[in-house]
Amino acid sequence: MRALCWNGINDLRVETVADPEILNPNDVILKVRLSTTCGSDLHLIDGLIPTMQAGDVLGHEFMGEIVDVGRGVSKVKKGDRVVVPSFISCGKCWYCQHDLYSLCDTTHPKPELQEPLLGYPTAGIYAYSHAFGGYAGAHAEYVRVPFADTDCFKVPDGVSDEAALFISDAAPTGFMGADFCNIHRGDVVAVWGCGGVGLMAQQSAMILGAERVIAIDRYPERLAQAEAFGAIPLDYTKVEVIEALNELTGGRGPDSCIDAVGMEADGTGLQHAYDRVKQALYLETDRGAALRQAMLAVRKGGTLSILGVYGLMDKFPLGLLMNKGVTVRTAQQHGQAYVPRLLEHAQRGELTPAALATHRFSLEDSPTGYHMFKHKDDGCLRAVFVQ
Amino acid sequence: MSTAEPETDAATAASITIGQPAPELRALWLQPQTQSRIWAHFAEVTQVADRTAEWIAHGPAGGEYRWRTEMTDSEPDVVRWASGDGADVPNAGVLTFRPAPGDRGTELHLDVRFDPPGGAIGEALSKLFHIAPREIVRTALYRFRALALTGEIPTTDPQPAARKGGADR
Repeated sequence: MRALCWNGINDLRVETVADPEILNPNDVILKVRLSTTCGSDLHLIDGLIPTMQAGDVLGHEFMGEIVDVGRGVSKVKKGDRVVVPSFISCGKCWYCQHDLYSLCDTTHPKPELQEPLLGYPTAGIYAYSHAFGGYAGAHAEYVRVPFADTDCFKVPDGVSDEAALFISDAAPTGFMGADFCNIHRGDVVAVWGCGGVGLMAQQSAMILGAERVIAIDRYPERLAQAEAFGAIPLDYTKVEVIEALNELTGGRGPDSCIDAVGMEADGTGLQHAYDRVKQALYLETDRGAALRQAMLAVRKGGTLSILGVYGLMDKFPLGLLMNKGVTVRTAQQHGQAYVPRLLEHAQRGELTPAALATHRFSLEDSPTGYHMFKHKDDGCLRAVFVQ
Repeated sequence: MSTAEPETDAATAASITIGQPAPELRALWLQPQTQSRIWAHFAEVTQVADRTAEWIAHGPAGGEYRWRTEMTDSEPDVVRWASGDGADVPNAGVLTFRPAPGDRGTELHLDVRFDPPGGAIGEALSKLFHIAPREIVRTALYRFRALALTGEIPTTDPQPAARKGGADR
């Protein structure tokens, strides 16, 4: 089959590779219909995440049709149109049974690579380096999906392929970030980042009852999309964010701040220059401008919800969190806990993830898609690959 | 807590908790097929008699090490084994089952001790097997938990990749 492969830093090529096979009884093979780029892929592509191997198939956000099933699979069947969360979860272990699916205790084929880094291995994830399991990704004609009864969700009629696609990752990640904020009546939620995850976090915060949602970014087309979703846009290159948030919250500060930016945050000023230099020297992997600003902005006793992907960051102002009594919530997405609800919200038109699909490419043109996505050319919010 | 001596390259201990009762876990551990599957990252294990298994571990540059283990007793909460005479790398293991607090199931505590030829210590054993004893033991427990809870062991072998003729093996 054809697949988009990583061959080294910024070296992506579509190549012919072997078809995936059913390896375990609970596996299915999916014929991929749509897959999409994610900001976290850029960390891999840029070489910021170790344990990638030349030839790895990329892509962790996808949906498709089941074309082959293992003998242990009973809930889903051939021909089902399904969406699959990015983390592989067994549904049987303590973590899965407590809705902490990305922390699954049984799906990492190479736990010895990850345990020294994190203390304990997490769930495996598609196409996110060998320290995260080394599973082949979904920018391909076919992908193997383990634990299909837990990880494949049938897409109901009335939910398009494009809407379902983002319920693989951007939507559940964003929704989880809003869920972490424990939103009450009157709450103001500020979201740093208007990429796919940030926009989904903004819409989710509204679904969960936020009084007001504030969206912070620098790209006009992304801020326009946030505004179309009902958020108040703030361009941090034009306004002083802390002052603007103060004004918008009557001096209280946002009840919750969601960081949907991560390690490649753009920023301004000296701290940003410092981060860029350290990152270039591999002394730290993260440029944390957004996170630091969110920590300062959040009201006393508020919640900081971190969705951006981070590796190593120094100059982390822990005292801000301690002295302000901030609750920090963070995780990789526990998608399986949210997907059924999100499909219902999409069916009712309350969640509109298809809006993220600004650009479409064939799989053969996917390297061009990543280039556009990385550089945000032509207002590219997400590049979708049609297989 | 488990070993009297500190963890060295040759003596290693690991613990894992599995949400199942001890008798079920013990029965699964004792199945010959289980042994061959959970140690597959390290050695080929073949049952040759009721309580005897043959182990073949591979080292770098084609090195091959063989030994037979005998289960030495059979208390309800403990499984013990030790290699017999003529082992290329003498070793012994003790697996203890203890109740975990609350509804967490059972804790498995595994101690394995290798006595490499010539009494080598330090890095020697990792070089012998091309895998550190710590990884041998922890990965085996991880694989055992996966097998106990899901009936399968996670794998990516083989799968699509643009290397080695199109698949990672």
